[in-house]
Amino acid sequence: MPREIAQLLLNGLMAGTILAVPAIGFTAIYAVLRFPNFAIAAHLTIGAFAGWLANVSLGLPAALAVGVAFVVAGLAGVLNDELILKPLRPAGALTTAIAAVALTLVLENVVRFVFGNDLRGYDLPIRRDWQAAGLRIAPQQVHNFVIAVVAMAAVFLFLAFTRTGKAMRAVADNPMLASVKGIDADRVARLTNFVAMGLAGVGGVLVGLDTSIDPLTGFRVILSVFAAAVVGGLGSIPGAVVGALTIGVGEELSLLVLAPAYRTVVGFAAILVVLTLRPRGILGERAY
Amino acid sequence: MENYLVAMAVFAGLYALLALGLNVVWGMTGMINLGLVGFFGLGAYASALLTRAHRAPIVLGLAAAALVTAAAGAAMALTTARLRGDYLAIITLGFSEVVRLVASNELWLTNGTDGISGIPGPWRGRVTPQTFNVVYLAIVALAVLAVFALCQRIRSSPYGRVLRAIRDDDQVAAVAGKRVIVFKVQAFAVSAAILGLAGALWGHYTSFIAPDVFTPLVTIYVVLALTAGGTGNNVGAVLGAALVIFLMEATRFATGWVGMLKPVQVAALREALIGGALLVVLRVRPRGLLPERLARS
Amino acid sequence: MSALLAVEGVVAGYSPSDEILKGVDLAVDSGEIVSVIGPNGAGKSTLLKVVAGLLRPHRGRVRLGEAALEGKPAREVSALGVAFVPQEHNVFPSLTVRENLEMGGYVDPRAARRRIDEIFVRFPALADKRRHAARTLSGGQRQMLAMAMALMVAPVLLLLDEPSAGLAPRAAEQLFDTVVAVNGDGVAIVMVEQNALEALAIARRGYILVDGRNSKSGPAAELARDPDVRRIFLGG
Ligand SMILES: Nc1ncnc2c1ncn2[C@@H]1O[C@H](COP(=O)(O)OP(=O)(O)O)[C@@H](O)[C@H]1O
Ligand SMILES: [Mg+2]
Repeated sequence: MPREIAQLLLNGLMAGTILAVPAIGFTAIYAVLRFPNFAIAAHLTIGAFAGWLANVSLGLPAALAVGVAFVVAGLAGVLNDELILKPLRPAGALTTAIAAVALTLVLENVVRFVFGNDLRGYDLPIRRDWQAAGLRIAPQQVHNFVIAVVAMAAVFLFLAFTRTGKAMRAVADNPMLASVKGIDADRVARLTNFVAMGLAGVGGVLVGLDTSIDPLTGFRVILSVFAAAVVGGLGSIPGAVVGALTIGVGEELSLLVLAPAYRTVVGFAAILVVLTLRPRGILGERAY
Repeated sequence: MENYLVAMAVFAGLYALLALGLNVVWGMTGMINLGLVGFFGLGAYASALLTRAHRAPIVLGLAAAALVTAAAGAAMALTTARLRGDYLAIITLGFSEVVRLVASNELWLTNGTDGISGIPGPWRGRVTPQTFNVVYLAIVALAVLAVFALCQRIRSSPYGRVLRAIRDDDQVAAVAGKRVIVFKVQAFAVSAAILGLAGALWGHYTSFIAPDVFTPLVTIYVVLALTAGGTGNNVGAVLGAALVIFLMEATRFATGWVGMLKPVQVAALREALIGGALLVVLRVRPRGLLPERLARS
Repeated sequence: MSALLAVEGVVAGYSPSDEILKGVDLAVDSGEIVSVIGPNGAGKSTLLKVVAGLLRPHRGRVRLGEAALEGKPAREVSALGVAFVPQEHNVFPSLTVRENLEMGGYVDPRAARRRIDEIFVRFPALADKRRHAARTLSGGQRQMLAMAMALMVAPVLLLLDEPSAGLAPRAAEQLFDTVVAVNGDGVAIVMVEQNALEALAIARRGYILVDGRNSKSGPAAELARDPDVRRIFLGG
């Protein structure tokens, strides 16, 4: 039993680290643009398919496919925002959120139109699981973990040390003051969309490397992504990481008592509990 | 053909109920429900299970559906009443997924993804299918009328004015505190009850429900109906529902003509068109065909 | 002395039909301190927002030297050398003190690097806290930081909106000393204040704004002696 729990904890940490990548994207857009951009789901799928094309059709290694997914999903995110969501923002956060759901439906079906509903897997070498101290771990899991950690570290370094990254945090803190200081809010918004949707795309590849992909890939993980962001505090990037690890571990531990199909329900339950007990999330809304 | 038109009218009526239900929260109170399909599904399952397994009368099933969904709606509104509307958006979207998951996995209760068939309908089997169709249309029309009257009543009452005040200035919420929360929770519960009723009526009409019926697409249809008709306007909600049914059927025929496409591509095209239509309406006519006209307040 | 800032007949509000300012004039010469006082809700903050480019006036003119400011976005106004310190929410709470200063000098990062050290010399309290998030600062320190951020761009005109609001008397006094010192470097200052006596004491000229209109203006010392002014603002 303790070994089983340790195994679930390990799996949960791995899964949570992967989940953190798109959760950072979701929370970053919320922090800067102040609306829940549900289209993160569609961009996760777009990234998953872009990475799949790079990996299977072009024969690129998984690590490069991640880069391709980041750029493709990021550019799609900027384009979709400029053309579709940005003009609607003056109508309010909720109207924009509705539009984001409609946008997700459109994008998901564009993917379905081109690729169909079949499940697709990445080209991966088959390797035996590693074992240590009675715990098992797949090399691919470790590989994905490393990719996720590198992506997150890059985001943190960018936000903490570059002029543009600091400007992004400044806009998230106080857009009015940022404009007084000469920060171009439009440019920051574009960049935020690029990075955030790019991260969603990376998340898509990580999901694909872990299991397989289809047009609903993004939609299936989105509940966990919301849960991670809300549990950590909507708008807080370290919060998204903490929230994602919490949800990842919680989903795995739920296997002790619940059927695997209910994993994502854990996320929903966690949202309810956190909103009831500590509405600003574990780390507090908007805290950097 | 006649049967087809009657069936479409029934579905238009059911969508009108959904749009009216959404209007109570989104149009009148400014709260969002992005998982309204979850309430729709919950109502459908509640009534189907009661009437089929427990042989309860359909009227009881409808009432139970409205009650259960009202309770679920109230709980969600209460959880997020003090927070920005974004949280309600997230939580309702999540709720609809949970409903679908439970419906897909609790085989003992819902028969999983195979769904529940043989849901009773009023006089079904005792009259010809044609007559059943017409009778059901009358029932749905009555329901729409009743709900419409209720919604108009709410809208023009002092109660409705408070809801609008909440919608137009969420800051009121922060200042006025508890009473505003009560209003929000009540409005959300009323709305959810209407959605649940529509779901129950759906099941008794089609006699079959499955988790597949209750996808996020339905939510988009309804939001599209209300937005196109005129958010805040009950007449607009009904009109928009009829329009959306027309659009859905039109795309069915239109995509039928495009010969070379595979079925999955046809389906994808239709869904993309619906989503696209909502985006276009939001952009070019955000207040709908019948913009809300406010009585003097 | 030439007029640095000239506001003429400005009508402005927060919606097209809204007139908070009903025709306001204000002139500031290079290098002087001008105090704007008036009761709560008179439109003082609104006036500063118009000058800073956060609010487009319905009518009237705002000139800085030869340049017309009305209708220019805040970013361009600040590029012309006008620095605005809002009444509240005037620092980025989750950024460190140092990062706040960097954002103050965002438009010219090279110059900002140089100026940051000068700022730390002038504001030693901020230097001690350079790695702390701005939200951890005391009220007085926060106002100092807000002003320091504005100085990062070497402005010709500094707009201060109630810098002493909510500060303890000692902190307020310190702040006014700083305002005088900054002005000593040649920066013209428009200061909106509730502390009418202190504000007039350090200003060369003053304006009284009541209900969106100019009520009185003149040399600060004269206004401070004016019986009407004393009755309304000084309770005397
Ligand atoms: N953002 C705003 N939107 C609408 N009205 C505002 C806003 N800010 C201030 N007002 C209104 O403008 C009037 C003047 O406000 P303000 O300029 O802040 O006055 P003061 O700074 O002199 O106290 C007040 O009646 C206030 O309610
Ligand atoms: Mg003010």
